[in-house]
Amino acid sequence: MVTVALPETIETAFDVQGLNIFYGAKQAINDIDLSIKKHEITALIGPSGCGKSTFLRSINRMNDDVPGFRAEGLIQYDDINLLTDNIDTVALRKEIGMVFQNPNPFPKSIAKNITQPLKEHGIRSKRKLTEQVETNLRRVGLWDEVRDRLDTSAYSLSGGQQQRLCIARALCIHPEVLLLDEPASALDPIATAKIEDLLLHLKDHYTIILVTHNLQQAARVADSTAFFYQGEVVEHTDTEQFFSNPKEKRSEDYISGRFG
Amino acid sequence: METNLRASERLVRKSRKLSLKNPERNGKIVVYTAAFLTVVATLAVTVFLAQRGLQSFYMSDINPLEFFTSTNWNPSGDNPTYGALIFIFGSLAVTLASAVIVAPLGIGAAIFMTEIAPSWGKKVLQPVIEILVGIPSVIYGYIGLTVLVPFIREQVGGSGYSLMAGIVVVSVMILPTVTTLSADALNRLPNGLRSSSYALGATRWQTIRRVLLPAAIPGLLTAVILGMARAIGEALAIQMVIGNTELLPGSLLDPTATMTTIITLNMGHTTFGSAENNVLWTLGLILLAISYLLVMAVRFLGARRKI
Amino acid sequence: MNRKLTDKLATLIFTLFAAVIVLVLAALLSYVLYLGIQQVSWDFLTSKSSNFRAGGGIQDQLFNSFYILLWTMIFTIPLGLAGGIYMAEYAEDNKLTAIIRVCIETLASLPSIVLGMFGLLVFVNTFDIGYSVLSGALTLTIFNMPIMIRTCENAIRSVSPQQKEAGLALGYTHWRTITTVLLPSAFPSILTGIILSCGLVFGEAAALLYSAGMTTPNLDFGNWNPFAETSPLNIMRPAETLSVHVWKVNSEGIIPDIRDVADGGAAVLVTANLIFNISARLLGSWIHRKLTSK
Repeated sequence: MVTVALPETIETAFDVQGLNIFYGAKQAINDIDLSIKKHEITALIGPSGCGKSTFLRSINRMNDDVPGFRAEGLIQYDDINLLTDNIDTVALRKEIGMVFQNPNPFPKSIAKNITQPLKEHGIRSKRKLTEQVETNLRRVGLWDEVRDRLDTSAYSLSGGQQQRLCIARALCIHPEVLLLDEPASALDPIATAKIEDLLLHLKDHYTIILVTHNLQQAARVADSTAFFYQGEVVEHTDTEQFFSNPKEKRSEDYISGRFG
Repeated sequence: METNLRASERLVRKSRKLSLKNPERNGKIVVYTAAFLTVVATLAVTVFLAQRGLQSFYMSDINPLEFFTSTNWNPSGDNPTYGALIFIFGSLAVTLASAVIVAPLGIGAAIFMTEIAPSWGKKVLQPVIEILVGIPSVIYGYIGLTVLVPFIREQVGGSGYSLMAGIVVVSVMILPTVTTLSADALNRLPNGLRSSSYALGATRWQTIRRVLLPAAIPGLLTAVILGMARAIGEALAIQMVIGNTELLPGSLLDPTATMTTIITLNMGHTTFGSAENNVLWTLGLILLAISYLLVMAVRFLGARRKI
Repeated sequence: MNRKLTDKLATLIFTLFAAVIVLVLAALLSYVLYLGIQQVSWDFLTSKSSNFRAGGGIQDQLFNSFYILLWTMIFTIPLGLAGGIYMAEYAEDNKLTAIIRVCIETLASLPSIVLGMFGLLVFVNTFDIGYSVLSGALTLTIFNMPIMIRTCENAIRSVSPQQKEAGLALGYTHWRTITTVLLPSAFPSILTGIILSCGLVFGEAAALLYSAGMTTPNLDFGNWNPFAETSPLNIMRPAETLSVHVWKVNSEGIIPDIRDVADGGAAVLVTANLIFNISARLLGSWIHRKLTSK
């Protein structure tokens, strides 16, 4: 288990300044500033098309291949700007893991979903691989449910189990940050609760950014919440404060369901 | 641990390794080469065929006008003539006639498969017809030779070896092709088209005729054109039943020849470089040009389909 | 006419069309198989053909068909895979891609007799390989390459984009994402495509007349030295395939039992084709089931 000891003074994981994102002529993110703290869960909320997913995917550069995509500004991470051209996206994505809206395990056995990424990143020892399967499945609370059928297809799992497997798969390569793009929106309430519970356990070791449609979810798990609207960050503050006493009129309207 | 390194040391790309063992780059080289090879192959086919095919005109001194318009084919006479119109006519006749026969049948069957009995069509008809697309053409020729030719001889007249036999054999051959491609075209139509038409109270036939067919026309035309491409290029099946006489047919029951059949028959026993051999290459070049034309037509229709 | 009646009539006509097609084609297949079954025997499959005497078999032709198929696939599968990967993953939406697409489509719609002429001109004459297994296989490679590229491209494209994202998000390089995520998922469809194209290659004749040739030396099935003149494995020897044989016997054969050999040969061709076709489908869906469920 790696709990990374970076200098205590650095509390901020990402410092976003003056970020603009375009798809061709269309501007998706409009000059936002945002500071994301380490070892916290930051929820990004807002109506569809507000830019929250676009922002999330620009952190690990998953939008690089989208035709017409262009990002300008600063996403400061430790001592570098993640938007510069010379970023090694492979190393970056290893360090900043991602979990998607729809569970997307590989069409292989449950165990191989963990061992394949490990092998890909150079771990060969059989003993270590088996050990890691157990460690990571335990971390997401899946071990007791699947220990007897590690060799069956990942698709034999329920949607919620698949999503936890995907989280385990993201964790097994020791990321520092986890980006979650509406990870529970395709799941039923019980599976959702398990995922939320898991996130609360994980935040001690990882910086977590959670995009969600579900306001209650943000309220339940996030330490701070950022409200995106039409490509801008309307308000970013402590979650409790955001939901009980929002500063901005638009935040209040959104929380009370007046739009979106 | 490397986590003690700063991000600039962990995440910034090191200068490109020039090692030969860079799978990322080697993989790219391999796939680009393969893609490039298709261009090389196409160019090679075009250049080689053009080079040989044009020799008829500049080395064997055959008059192009005569080549394309004369039916006087007598390469072995004292005063040899090379009018290739018979073969060009034969190919076009077989292709167009079979397209006219197959288009309604194939599209009709495709409508049955997609609109009338979709589940049965998908489970039974589609696989059966796809299997038939793959049956070798010599089999169609062999059946034509052993069933169709005697049938025409006894029931209709003539020797049986005839333009008609060629047309029927080719029609049977391209029918599965046209049917599957038409069914694909109809399946691609958005379901909303159907439901909105039915919601307006249209019957199935009205829906098919007023809504689905017009929307699917580019796709259906593509299906027929690809069928024609197969028809005009088919050699052995036609060769086995058409009689291979170097004469313009006076009727459907007369034997004749096509570009592909004369190539099939004469390529083996003409001397490389002789005028008689050169004209075969010219016919090959014409077939190549027709392929290009049909590909362009299909692309044109494909572009229209997106609108 | 009443519109309900028109509708019924149209339905009837389309059903009739479909029925006619199925009947005609079913009749053809059963005709070939019925006549052929009476000729096909172990002896027919394992004895040499004769040019003028009755009672010949198709042993060498059958071997040649499979041998040329083998070499064609050795050339085509890597090319088709690589080309398919290019088209699905690397091709940008630009002029170059459009040109490559036109080339693939042109190669795919080229009459096989024209390809055969090209094989004669380039492989047989210019490269001076002569009528041979190799010339035939190279010619069929051009015939089969566009089909394989399309198969692989479609197979890769039909893999869910979420799979690709999973790979990339785990820090796989683009190439490793292709080889460890996309290709395994596309494998069932690629395999189906390969077997189906085996069927097409196996039955192809026109492209082989003037590339692999229409004769076979007296093969010695005891001699497996690939450099020996009469070895079946020699790739520089002429090789008449089964479909070429069926054509030749029918159109210029002088043996007394033309009909018997033609019937038998045709039945074997059709059977081989059916086996390729059905096994492709069964295998493809079996592997797919294995990968995605229990």
